[in-house]
Amino acid sequence: MSTPDDPRTSDPQDPEELRFHFTPSDEPKPEQETDNPHAKATTRVPEVIEALRDEFGDAVLEVERYANEDTVYVEKRKIRPICRFLKEQGFDYFADLGGIDNFTEEDRYEVFYNLVSTERQKRIRLKIRVDEEDMRVPSVVEVYRAANWNEREAYDMFGFTFVDHPDPRRMYMPEDFDYHPLRKEFPQLGVPGSLPLPPQTPDGELTMDPFAAAHGSKPVKSYEEPATDPDSE
Amino acid sequence: MAQPQKPNFPGHDLGDQFRFWPKHNEKIYERLESKHAWLEEKQAAAQGDGEPPATQKSELDPLENEMVLNIGPQHPATHGVLRCVVKLDGETIEKSVLDIGYLHRGIEKLAEHKTYQEFMPYTDRMDYLSPYSNNVAWCLAVEKLADIEVPERAQWIRMIMSELARISSHCLWLGVGMMDAGAVSGFVWTFQEREEIYSIMDEVAGARFTVSHSRIGGVSTDFSPRAIEMIRDFVEKFPDRVEGWEGLLNKNRIWIERNKGVGRVTKEEALELGLTGPNLRGSGVPYDIRRFEPYLKYDEVDFTIPVREEGDCLARYFLRLDEMKQSVRIIEQCLDRMTEGPIRADDAKQAYPSKDEVYYSMEGMIHDFMYTDVGTVPPKGAHSYHAIEAPKGELGFYLTSDGTGRPWRVRINAPSFTNLQAMEYMMEGSLVADTVVIIGSLDPVMGEADK
Repeated sequence: MSTPDDPRTSDPQDPEELRFHFTPSDEPKPEQETDNPHAKATTRVPEVIEALRDEFGDAVLEVERYANEDTVYVEKRKIRPICRFLKEQGFDYFADLGGIDNFTEEDRYEVFYNLVSTERQKRIRLKIRVDEEDMRVPSVVEVYRAANWNEREAYDMFGFTFVDHPDPRRMYMPEDFDYHPLRKEFPQLGVPGSLPLPPQTPDGELTMDPFAAAHGSKPVKSYEEPATDPDSE
Repeated sequence: MAQPQKPNFPGHDLGDQFRFWPKHNEKIYERLESKHAWLEEKQAAAQGDGEPPATQKSELDPLENEMVLNIGPQHPATHGVLRCVVKLDGETIEKSVLDIGYLHRGIEKLAEHKTYQEFMPYTDRMDYLSPYSNNVAWCLAVEKLADIEVPERAQWIRMIMSELARISSHCLWLGVGMMDAGAVSGFVWTFQEREEIYSIMDEVAGARFTVSHSRIGGVSTDFSPRAIEMIRDFVEKFPDRVEGWEGLLNKNRIWIERNKGVGRVTKEEALELGLTGPNLRGSGVPYDIRRFEPYLKYDEVDFTIPVREEGDCLARYFLRLDEMKQSVRIIEQCLDRMTEGPIRADDAKQAYPSKDEVYYSMEGMIHDFMYTDVGTVPPKGAHSYHAIEAPKGELGFYLTSDGTGRPWRVRINAPSFTNLQAMEYMMEGSLVADTVVIIGSLDPVMGEADK
């Protein structure tokens, strides 16, 4: 595909295409997108977005583009039919799914779906917004079987409830764990006592907090300190 | 000696049993029982009505062929800490449930608390068999997000080293794969080649294993003349070594019979299950990121993407050997076409200044300090996905920026994770002895799958 947005086909003689040094700014400027040296032609899918708009109308909320990558925001309740439609359109390979915690009042979470069409050589990213009040997300496992573990992981890390998921278990953390670690309010060093770990000595007690020193309490030692006699100064 | 303290789980009376995470294991066994319940329901419906009573169940299995077997997590054949809970009917696996997460370190969470450059050493420890590929994947993802252009020489260096990493990873896969099938001496032979790649890494990066040589905006150090000599030496004699292995295995009856027809996946299944990398191409899908959306200079070198149609372990073996030969071709072309020039972007906001600048100029030192403290700052709200073809498959990073020097969210699309998911289905219907070969041939690395 040779659109004028493709950096490899752009004409460097054109004064419009002059490259400027990158300065950080709050909003990505539209001309930066086409200038990105790592932009790929595979990530631009205007015709697919058109088809989606024709088929689903208002369920396609907005389209964002950065670094030549199209991201389509769609309505949460429509995600399964949209995925099915895209699969019919040739997006046969499910690459990735995951959550994002934006830590905002409304629509706190996002779930993204990276889909690939091996025949059309295209990628598309769908995104849905999920509010904290309603963490239910329709599962797309019946459309893309490969989404199974990714959805389990998103549930584990963020606590989404994937409706109609065939195997709603945690992916990495044990079932006995009560938190969702990738949420922004979860501390980096974990919650003491949330996950008992094996004792540090054969006869010792369970390790309740592996980062005890960081939490201000006495760390568990894997060895026994020699008994000190207070009178032998 | 004092009695060991019994763990106390609120709400669970474990008695004298010492068990960790009781709910976790219960759920796994529950899942094992309920999986494919539809099939059993259908069988029961064909025989009579509904669920057969408990007495009848034992009559169905009078010899008690059924058993539940836990393979791993601590087992040499699982290549790390993979736990397979399988339900057996004699020697055949009826159902399988994989349990991963024993190496979960939460690096996606850790990344949110680090600058982009600080996160680099963590990528070494993801797929620890080919650290250089992970470094490159991370750098390219950040460079795409922050719009940083990499000098040409750095791109050639990255390409050479990633292909060496691919060879190194495939060497380990072959050695361990042979050992899984019973040929222990092959392990030592492929490790000889890996040792040579380690020496090259040592010469180039200063570290043998966890290299962290790539930098955002370029690479850390240029090749020394000796390094180029070592790489040339290696690519010259490596094809002969591959031929030697082929001579050993291609007509070896044990190897063929252990691999042929084992773990077969059709093209449609492979796409549906989301297999990636050599495993996907072994089933006839020519999906390789180096071709699909060329990064670095892959669109400027001449190489082929080996594809096989059979989709069994033997096909994946042939395919990986072919891939190693193609990697050698790529490295040779890179060495010939590598240009002289800078190895890092010359902009203090995009990359570290060179050590000469840092030691001998005040600005250089300030830039070095600022880059360590703040680092690269992508625009607010920017998000992008960049994937590379790592030895195991598509390794992608989906980054979201909030306009600070630390990523807001890092999503790692790890190839071993997607491959393992497919393995759960591939194991069903195979023999217990074949699981070892299937795990070996899919080549999962738990450091990456568990993040």
